[in-house]
Amino acid sequence: MADNYFDAIVIGSGISGGWAAKELTEKGLTVMMLERGRNIEHVKDYVNAQKDLWEFPHRGQRTQQMIEDYPVLKRDYPLNETVLDMWVKDKESPYTETKPFSWFRGYHVGGRSLTWGRQSYRFNPADFEANLKEGIGVDWPIRYEDIAPWYSHAEKFAGIQGNRDGLSVLPDGDYLPAIEMNIVEKDVAKRLKEHYKGTRHMIMGRSANITQPKPEQNRLNCQYRDRCWRGCPYGAYFSTQSATLPAAMATKRLTLRPFSIVTKILYDKDTKRATGVEVLDAQTNQTVVYKSKIVFVNASAFNSTWVLMNSATDIWPGGLGSSSGELGHNVMDHHFRLGASGQAEGYDDKYYFGRRPSGIYIPRFRNWDGDKRNYVRGFGYQGSASRSRWSRDVAEFSVGAELKEALTEPGSWSVGITAFGEMLPYHDNKISLDKSKKDKWGLPVLNMDVEIKENEKNMRVDMMADAKEMLEAAGLKNVSTYDGGYEVGMGIHEMGTARMGRDPKTSVLNGHNQVWDAPNVFVTDGAAMTSASCVNPSLTYMALTARAADFAVSELKKGNL
Amino acid sequence: MERRELLKLITLATGGVLIGGELFLSGCKNDPKIGGETFTPEDIAFLDEAGETIIPQTATPGAKAAAVGSFMTVMVNDCYAKDDQKIFHSGIGKLNDAMDKKFKVAFMEATPAQRKELFTELDKEAREYAKKKSDFDREQSAKLKDATAKGESFEKKTMDPHYFTMVKQLTLLGFFTSKTGATETLRHISVPARYDGDLPYKKGDRAFFE
Repeated sequence: MADNYFDAIVIGSGISGGWAAKELTEKGLTVMMLERGRNIEHVKDYVNAQKDLWEFPHRGQRTQQMIEDYPVLKRDYPLNETVLDMWVKDKESPYTETKPFSWFRGYHVGGRSLTWGRQSYRFNPADFEANLKEGIGVDWPIRYEDIAPWYSHAEKFAGIQGNRDGLSVLPDGDYLPAIEMNIVEKDVAKRLKEHYKGTRHMIMGRSANITQPKPEQNRLNCQYRDRCWRGCPYGAYFSTQSATLPAAMATKRLTLRPFSIVTKILYDKDTKRATGVEVLDAQTNQTVVYKSKIVFVNASAFNSTWVLMNSATDIWPGGLGSSSGELGHNVMDHHFRLGASGQAEGYDDKYYFGRRPSGIYIPRFRNWDGDKRNYVRGFGYQGSASRSRWSRDVAEFSVGAELKEALTEPGSWSVGITAFGEMLPYHDNKISLDKSKKDKWGLPVLNMDVEIKENEKNMRVDMMADAKEMLEAAGLKNVSTYDGGYEVGMGIHEMGTARMGRDPKTSVLNGHNQVWDAPNVFVTDGAAMTSASCVNPSLTYMALTARAADFAVSELKKGNL
Repeated sequence: MERRELLKLITLATGGVLIGGELFLSGCKNDPKIGGETFTPEDIAFLDEAGETIIPQTATPGAKAAAVGSFMTVMVNDCYAKDDQKIFHSGIGKLNDAMDKKFKVAFMEATPAQRKELFTELDKEAREYAKKKSDFDREQSAKLKDATAKGESFEKKTMDPHYFTMVKQLTLLGFFTSKTGATETLRHISVPARYDGDLPYKKGDRAFFE
């Protein structure tokens, strides 16, 4: 039994799970980190990292077999021959959809920390106050000041490249030197600033790619290959494998157990505490129990909630944390897939060297600084300027040497931007256990019942129109808009379902991410989010996790857990 | 593929030549992978020559050296939906017929000049067809959107792609992503190690393989 006892159990090994393991072990706790999928060892298991495109039989394209095997992943760009091993096999891990929901998952050590977009932004002070001011959802139980030091802590360790741009809408952090904009982006940024008199900005995207080596973490700086998704052999972008896992391992207090599906958190109703977890070994089908003083739930938003829903059901039929009636509710994502692009003229004598891992960012400007729209909240844009490649159409030449010569040179410059908008927390946007369907281990699957509503739809009108207007204001030619259609989940930013709040009657977690009904259970991934902001959320999960871990250890020491 | 690359993908998919984008779209049909037809060594030799007509050897190797013939067969077998496979297979016969009609010669016996002349015509035909197809597809999408808004059902139809578009797309994809295409015709820097966003460029400098 002693082998099965740890100070802390961490469920999940992605961005937030890795952070929980690192913080808790560094503070002296023995930790068991449970991962439902296989192990992926840093560098060694990045099987495609060093391959050239011609080494892939279909040059990265999707095959009909892949389409059949990945009925969910095929809905958007993640289905790709070069990163197939980084996504869950959809057929093995079904879910049901009352309304269309794309759920793109990574069931392996490192989770989606291996495939994330690496954009790393702080929420701003207003993001934490908006729910209260507008009477939407519930108030965040924390304010910007509560999390700011933890943002710094996360940024310094993870390594975020970016500029301190001095914008109130996008607070500055502790950054490594920024990757540069290219010449066209710089000019567009200048023109936007002039045209909008300093109310709109194009800045370098802040991302978790290091621009200086971190020898203490055994990480090299970015080599500008732009192959992050296949795993970085230099450890240049932040992932569990490159950063938090080795830090936790270095303490010699971490045990990592892959192929471990947590089926429930064990709960003692007398002490009102969790006592450990029950694990289904995905390889042997054996059930194993691990005991601990505290449990960190970091299984990714929906799976964290799935674990809670399956726990303590003898006391609460809806599961641990369901006493509020909010468990599984208030699902959020970032809605996107629309924007604009246009051509930049006059730069035929300019090109670029190297392939950047991040593009530009245009922070929110709507409903900000006195602007008022027919919706609340706002959106930002990601994008880049580049010269077109061999895949462009050359109308002058049909076939032959002339066509070949033309395609051998880079084509015209264009700038493209894609909007990412905030989605509000609606109680009726929910996930629930669908007991009519079981996965291959006989476990009930999740049902998704989520949609965007009026506020998001109104926002999308601006997201597209503003993109066009800005690119035209910046002097770009032939500006065209696009809307690729959005299905909830495609943002791969699942949030909510176990929100933080100030009142156990209306929230699942308190201001320290403790489950109200089980104070030694902490949920610190996307599930905890009370609102979504419009910025990419992972940095906030890192900060929330480090903050909660610090609190948990201090409470443990005080004997309060 | 990165998230911010999405736009590029969509731009390709709605632009003139739909490399990758076309595969992306045809891939969405989710038809079972049953082609029924197989490629013979003669087909591969034929496709090599067709590819070479589109991207010939110049100062650098051409499509044949990049083995685009066998690449095309892999892509058609594995990535094309069943209907598209049929169109591609019948395209081989159509190319031969067109050559016979124009020059009274089999494609494999025709001179490079004859092949180029025929392909120039076919390219024009395929472009005009592609325009019609894109208008039609847009119209169908609009109808679907209208019907959905009204709560009605609407079965979206699509026009088949032109076989010559397929051959040209696969040639360009196969050539420019091949080792010779990427490293000898284009420039490939495997590990750039730095970024320069203000690199001087003069006409004739080769593009980097990205």
